Amino acid sequence: MSANLAFQLSFRNILRHRRRNAMLFAAVAVAVLGSSLSMGLVRGWQYDMLDGVVGNLTGHIKVHAPGYLDDPGIQRGFELASDYQPDVPSEDLMGWAPRISVPAVILSERETRGIQLVGINPSAESISFLDKVVIDGENLSGPGDGRMIIGKELARQLKTRVGLRLVIMTQGSDGLTRERGFRIAGTYDAEGTGLEKAYVFSGLQTIQSLLDTENVTEVSIRLNEEPKKLSIQALLVDFFIGLEVMNWEELNPQAAGLYLFTDSIIYIFFFFIMGALIFGLVNTLIASVMERTKEFGMLRALGMNRRTIVLEVVIESVLIMTFGMIFGLVLAYFSFLGLEDGLNLGVWAEGLESFGMRAVLYPIMRVDDFVTIALMSLFMGVLASYWPAKRATRITPLEAMRG
Amino acid sequence: MSGEVVMARGLTRVYQEEAVPVHALRGVDFSLSSSEFVSLSGPSGSGKSTLLNIVGGLDRQDEGIIELDGEELAPLSEGDLAALRLRKIGFVFQAYNLVPVLSALENVEFILQLQGVGSAERKERAGEALKSLGLSELQDRRPGEMSGGQQQRVAIARAIVTNPVLLLADEPSANLDSETTKELMELLRNLNETQGMTIITATHDPMVMGYAKRQVHLRDGTVERDEVVTD
Ligand SMILES: Nc1ncnc2c1ncn2[C@@H]1O[C@H](COP(=O)(O)OP(=O)(O)OP(=O)(O)O)[C@@H](O)[C@H]1O
Ligand SMILES: [Mg+2]
Repeated sequence: MSANLAFQLSFRNILRHRRRNAMLFAAVAVAVLGSSLSMGLVRGWQYDMLDGVVGNLTGHIKVHAPGYLDDPGIQRGFELASDYQPDVPSEDLMGWAPRISVPAVILSERETRGIQLVGINPSAESISFLDKVVIDGENLSGPGDGRMIIGKELARQLKTRVGLRLVIMTQGSDGLTRERGFRIAGTYDAEGTGLEKAYVFSGLQTIQSLLDTENVTEVSIRLNEEPKKLSIQALLVDFFIGLEVMNWEELNPQAAGLYLFTDSIIYIFFFFIMGALIFGLVNTLIASVMERTKEFGMLRALGMNRRTIVLEVVIESVLIMTFGMIFGLVLAYFSFLGLEDGLNLGVWAEGLESFGMRAVLYPIMRVDDFVTIALMSLFMGVLASYWPAKRATRITPLEAMRG
Repeated sequence: MSGEVVMARGLTRVYQEEAVPVHALRGVDFSLSSSEFVSLSGPSGSGKSTLLNIVGGLDRQDEGIIELDGEELAPLSEGDLAALRLRKIGFVFQAYNLVPVLSALENVEFILQLQGVGSAERKERAGEALKSLGLSELQDRRPGEMSGGQQQRVAIARAIVTNPVLLLADEPSANLDSETTKELMELLRNLNETQGMTIITATHDPMVMGYAKRQVHLRDGTVERDEVVTD
């Protein structure tokens, strides 16, 4: 009953001071828009980074034999049943790829380079960066393909090109050196990243027979949703007994740290922008409450309790916050639509690429970020008004009416 | 028939203002039966408002006993006092009686809303209260669109719509001209005579005093005279 009344009074008072409240409303909308955009851009950067890390042949979860990470080689391979399927709910699984990845040396007529030779099943690599790269020439046709694809940068350094044949040397499962010529089927463009120099790909079966093994050295698993990684990691641990099952954060602690740090940046932005807003909001509410000292005194003299007065002021603040926030979120939504093709960082692009960022940033708005902004705004609306409201009811009705 | 609406014994009230104590009431005895119309008079600072506020549960005495409608007020918590004011007392203040953002009808209605009366009944009773005071045509106006006299009459409508046991009016006509004051006081007298409303007013204005049937004259925080006026 009195809550209804508090609501009615709040609403009327907002309408009564249209100008002042319209400005507050606009300030809230701008602050929400600003926080949404900055959140979205930082998220975009964060996802870009995650995508880079997870797409770097890592996946969300990777399985190795123990010791492989310290001393990668075919001796630290493991057997994978030919009909293996990860025991992961299909709606969570984006894909998985078995690989052999061993250190090797590639020789052209004039140059020699140390590389990582990776045997893949090309159709399984939709989960890695290989799915996105542009390939000059041809891609590998299947796990039995005896040709290779190499990075553009490596091709440049080796002064070679598509169609030529290069020799690769590596160690077989028996510890003896193997050597084989591979024709270059194509060169891939990984946007100048270090990947281009590091990885040379050929068919999984080709490498297995080169190394004299049936084993693989890793299974990489990519999920649809990053946060599920822990629960699914637990499932895989139960399956791959005796092997190391690690998630991307464990495999790349530096990136994981940066990822976490980015999360806090998002909130730092939010609190800065909202903090400035709250400052203005509190001041306006104090003024608006002071103006009504006599009115509140009169209402309390008639028998309205303090709670209802506080409620009135809090509702007033929350209403302004809510409408401003909805408007701000709608603006943010359309801004995101406008930025769907990405925000071109243009002149800074080169500097940023060295931080592992792409030149075009795609803002990402997660529903939970929207919800967080919305809830935090409301919470701040309550916080900002509670104190002025309490202050308004601290004096007795008689004191208030006397003014 | 009529029971005691107010019973006050030995009320004292001392305000501690910057080390100098102000004795606003120095032992006031005062009783009021149902359907009485009393005017508190006396010079400025004699304690009229203080007495009225203690009777109305807005202030507390330092010593003495005050009972309203048979209930002692001293033990009541602040919240209980607010509830008691809401149920039992109709207030008409000197100024700031109405909520600026509510219409006349809504200003009368909201007190019923605070009491928890349902919407339909509220509207009906508020409309009737305004009508009984001849204010129906004002019901959609906000306070800013009414004269001072009209606002005070709406305040009376709000004060009586809850059927209080006591109506308190502290200088209700302080901001009104004499013609409007007359109308207002006739309205109060009429309420007292036709509905048996128990009323206390406090005033300096001899014309206002003239409407009451009983005069309580205060001086320096004590009752100097308490007399029933006979026509
Ligand atoms: N809150 C207060 N703090 C300090 N002194 C007060 C307070 N309220 C009243 N007084 C003092 O108590 C005395 C009685 O005041 P009260 O308001 O009851 O007088 P009054 O008869 O209503 O006067 P008036 O005709 O001017 O309204 C005065 O001296 C006044 O200054
Ligand atoms: Mg007074």
